Amino acid sequence: MTVWKTSMRNFLAHKGRMALSAVAVLLSVAFVCGTLCFTDTMNTTFDKLFAASSADVTVSPKAAGGPDDAPENGRPESLSASVVERVEKADGVKEAEGGVMSMSVTVVDSHDKNMGSETGAPTIAGNWTRNDLRSMEIASGHAPRGPTEVMVDADTAEKHHLKIGDELRTVAVTGDIRARISGIAAFTVTNPGAAVVFLDTATAQQKLLGRPGAFTHVNVTAQPGVDDTQLKKNVASALGDAGAYKLQTQKEAAAANKDSMGSFLDVMKYAMLGFAGIAFLVGIFLIVNTFSMLVAQRTREIGLMRAIGSSRKQVNRSVLVEAVLLGIVGSVLGVGAGIGLAVGLMKLMGSMGMELSTEDLTVAWTTPVLGLALGVVVTVLAAYIPARRAGKVSPMAALRDAGTPADGKSGRIRAGIGLVLTVSGAAALWATTQADKAGEGSLFLGLGVVLTLIGFIVIGPLLAGVVVRALGVVVLRFFGPVGRLAERNALRNPRRTGATAAALMIGLALVACLSVVGSSMVASATEELDKSVGTDFIVQSGTGQLVVPQAAEAIKKVPGIEYVTDYKSVGAKITSPDGKTEDEGLVAADPTYQEDLRRTTVAGDLGDAYGKNAMSVGDDYALRHGIEVGDEITVAFKAGGTAKLKVAAITSDETNVDKGAMYTNITTAEQYVPADRMPENMIMFAKAEDGKEKAAYAALKSALAPYPQYKVQNQADFKQDLKDQVGQLLNIVYGLLALAIIVAVLGVVNTLALSVVERTREIGLMRAIGLSRRQLRRMIRLESVVIALFGALLGLGLGMGWGTSAQKLLALEGLGVLEIPWPTILTVFVASAFVGLFAALVPAFRAGRMNVLNAIATDG
Amino acid sequence: MTTAVTIPRHGGTGGRTAVAARARQVVKAYGVGETRVVALDHVDVDIERGRFTAIMGPSGSGKSTLMHCLAGLDTVTSGEIHLADTEITKLKDKKLTQLRRDRIGFIFQAFNLLPTLNAIENITLPMDIAGRRPDADWLRQVVETVGLAERLKHRPTQLSGGQQQRVAVARALAARPEIIFGDEPTGNLDSRAGAEVLSFLRKSVDELGQTIVMVTHDPVAASYADRVLYLADGSIVDEMRNPTADQVLDRMKDFDARGRTS
Repeated sequence: MTVWKTSMRNFLAHKGRMALSAVAVLLSVAFVCGTLCFTDTMNTTFDKLFAASSADVTVSPKAAGGPDDAPENGRPESLSASVVERVEKADGVKEAEGGVMSMSVTVVDSHDKNMGSETGAPTIAGNWTRNDLRSMEIASGHAPRGPTEVMVDADTAEKHHLKIGDELRTVAVTGDIRARISGIAAFTVTNPGAAVVFLDTATAQQKLLGRPGAFTHVNVTAQPGVDDTQLKKNVASALGDAGAYKLQTQKEAAAANKDSMGSFLDVMKYAMLGFAGIAFLVGIFLIVNTFSMLVAQRTREIGLMRAIGSSRKQVNRSVLVEAVLLGIVGSVLGVGAGIGLAVGLMKLMGSMGMELSTEDLTVAWTTPVLGLALGVVVTVLAAYIPARRAGKVSPMAALRDAGTPADGKSGRIRAGIGLVLTVSGAAALWATTQADKAGEGSLFLGLGVVLTLIGFIVIGPLLAGVVVRALGVVVLRFFGPVGRLAERNALRNPRRTGATAAALMIGLALVACLSVVGSSMVASATEELDKSVGTDFIVQSGTGQLVVPQAAEAIKKVPGIEYVTDYKSVGAKITSPDGKTEDEGLVAADPTYQEDLRRTTVAGDLGDAYGKNAMSVGDDYALRHGIEVGDEITVAFKAGGTAKLKVAAITSDETNVDKGAMYTNITTAEQYVPADRMPENMIMFAKAEDGKEKAAYAALKSALAPYPQYKVQNQADFKQDLKDQVGQLLNIVYGLLALAIIVAVLGVVNTLALSVVERTREIGLMRAIGLSRRQLRRMIRLESVVIALFGALLGLGLGMGWGTSAQKLLALEGLGVLEIPWPTILTVFVASAFVGLFAALVPAFRAGRMNVLNAIATDG
Repeated sequence: MTTAVTIPRHGGTGGRTAVAARARQVVKAYGVGETRVVALDHVDVDIERGRFTAIMGPSGSGKSTLMHCLAGLDTVTSGEIHLADTEITKLKDKKLTQLRRDRIGFIFQAFNLLPTLNAIENITLPMDIAGRRPDADWLRQVVETVGLAERLKHRPTQLSGGQQQRVAVARALAARPEIIFGDEPTGNLDSRAGAEVLSFLRKSVDELGQTIVMVTHDPVAASYADRVLYLADGSIVDEMRNPTADQVLDRMKDFDARGRTS
């Protein structure tokens, strides 16, 4: 009980000194809880949406893919109207209603502006059915009553200031549908961002499906008392032919929709939890430092407790109890902050166009429990080593005039272990660069990263001596005696300096590693594009929408264009001569595609692959199945028709573009695939006539102005786009790493603040003999900058090592060019110095405000 | 009201006044109303240049407060303190720091040295901070006087308590301050080491012409001084010139007895 009381009092007495540790725990726990809460809320939102939008039983064609599979010809699979009649006659059916829905559409306003979401949510066009009333209501106007009327969802209307009477153009694969807004329908559940338009049924059938009278699905409503599973059975037996239809109860439909969404949410969740984990790791250093310093400052006190009879265990436990208290306080606040963070994230998503309602805010009971458990366990683990050290304090310490205990020289054992770890880590990284199989290479890489990281953490205190002295020579000597004092202070306790810098090192190492990989990715891709791309212009949508024929026509009419290449992705099952079938798909293109994208061939001539009934394969596939030029391959097109095509060329797979693609001529595919099922273009390429590039580029852009879903890019745009995409991705990752870096900066603040408290008498002495406030503050700032630069140096060095090894490994996957982004690395290094200055703000201010007399009088 | 003011002597020291520091009607009070405690009660004192002055008195007499105020470490409630021609009671922190740095030397009871600096670095620290070059000849002389030539590269933890205090004395002397303040400089030392340090202080007054003010409660330490000021209840109650340890001890007993009977 006394132990508990002492710990409690110590905790309360030193709450100021623990504040930053609590903040570190808080931030990490908040990030975990925020992530869980946010993803749970997203799940709830989608669950509600999908549950509300699915009928009791939905009947759709068997051939229709999941929610993610866009039809390759832009026309969803459909059912004939007679199916609706047959379903209606089944037992227990109250009502059966044919629905039409397509996601292969783009909706633009009268200024050719895309009404679709920018966050990746789909644009959906369909007919207005009674089933829609379960999730929507007509807010104003009325449902469309003819081919010239359209209804739009209220969120989209609001976002784009649409009102009744405005014209909307729905771009479908069969042509453009021009209609005026007749009504606006509002979601009664949260719609996270999809743009939805409703057409009248006949128009929807004709334009979206190209098949008058057909439906994409049948919504079946049960009579009261008939459950969904029973209804499904009844409908199935009424329809007979089980192979032709897919039947889903409401639950199954919602689950199927959810699956495609859920995997995305899971990826997001685990990625964010990973970053929270890094923040926790960094926080551990902060907590270790705090407790080490508290124990050191309390040495005499602990010695006294031991002298009057406390056992080692009791001393040890009293420190751990303080850690538990700290963990609890930090985690409880963290859980609260996490829920706040989730709400903040929802608002942020809202501002980016993904509407989430706080009514759906979901806090599972596991969230606070997990947050609390993580926070407490991590804190106690971190405090374990300092607690053990406290237990080892001898009772003699009470008698000694300990002053500021100096850190024992970091032992030789430590140096040995650290060196062994670092060297074996470096060896693993070297092995990574030598690996010729990606699998074993990534194993080495993982091993190397972990070993070098731990190795650096272990020998950090030793490196501190070397690096800080070097920095002293380069930077600090310009600051005279104040610089020298700062250097000595940073070196006085290498273990503390090492741990503080290591925290910063972790975050910066990841930044450096990713920036190396990212810029190598861009450099490699750019080099390859320079080498292989011959086309002038590339037309494609950013979201995977097919190029509709009317847009393709517009492109082909542009003046100054020498030729245009159609590029289609054709689904097919491919059977090689060894009898094995792969669900691969082919690229069907115009022969000019050879010029647009130059490929190296291993055997044969790629030109011949565009000949009659011929194709090419990649060398990986050829190797796998022992295929040689002249072999015959069976291609069963998904859209119908089976062809036997002769392999005329084998292309090299050492590439990033079209890796493994099999090529055939469009005319070959057309021989087998029915005309109305022939896939639309996925991408189009255009080559300008000599000297007319500029004019053709402008003309292409203006020709495609009515179709804002497509991007027209010349080679420079394309490369820039690639760079931007990698840059964006890196920025997101840097943003998430910012959490770990913030915790590390708190660690620097913490170390300095506690050091200032510890050195009160020293500071008093220096002030008494004439150190000005300004000099004192500068001394503390310089110490901080040195620690930060030390951490940055280790982190950037480590990260560049990791990044280089990763690039060498990825070279097997076509990431052939190593590019170290020196501007980024230098910026991070310089920014670290500023981080150091920033971290020293408060500690320096407080040191400057210390009363000289009190400082002298303070008991050591 | 008692005073310890000497008539200023002119001439002899090149026209400079023979008073190094002067306090006039200095009051230092803590708290307000009922809890008001007066540490210094209208004290007038002159510190003579080139002399060794000891300030004595029982605990709570205000002797440390007086020294802190004279040294510009503490502020006064009212009254004036002059260091030579500078009125330090009017100075802001920045000027006061400069004054301490350039014109005053300190020796504290303990914790006089920065543990991160070696002996010579500690000695030259005030000049380093000021950005001044130490006078090499003078520095050598000081170091030899305090007998530390062999140990200049040692860190404080590698020195004995007496050696540490000698480094502190050397630091105070090295910058040639107008006045050195010692706050029980031998309080933590055994008598032999204490005698050593006090001899150095005496020597620096005699041979180097240094002005020293020392707070102490040890009659033996006070006997090294030229003049002893006695403080009681915030006022100077007596002074003695050229004291011996026995005289000081007798005087102290005297005060104690009076304190008890009154």
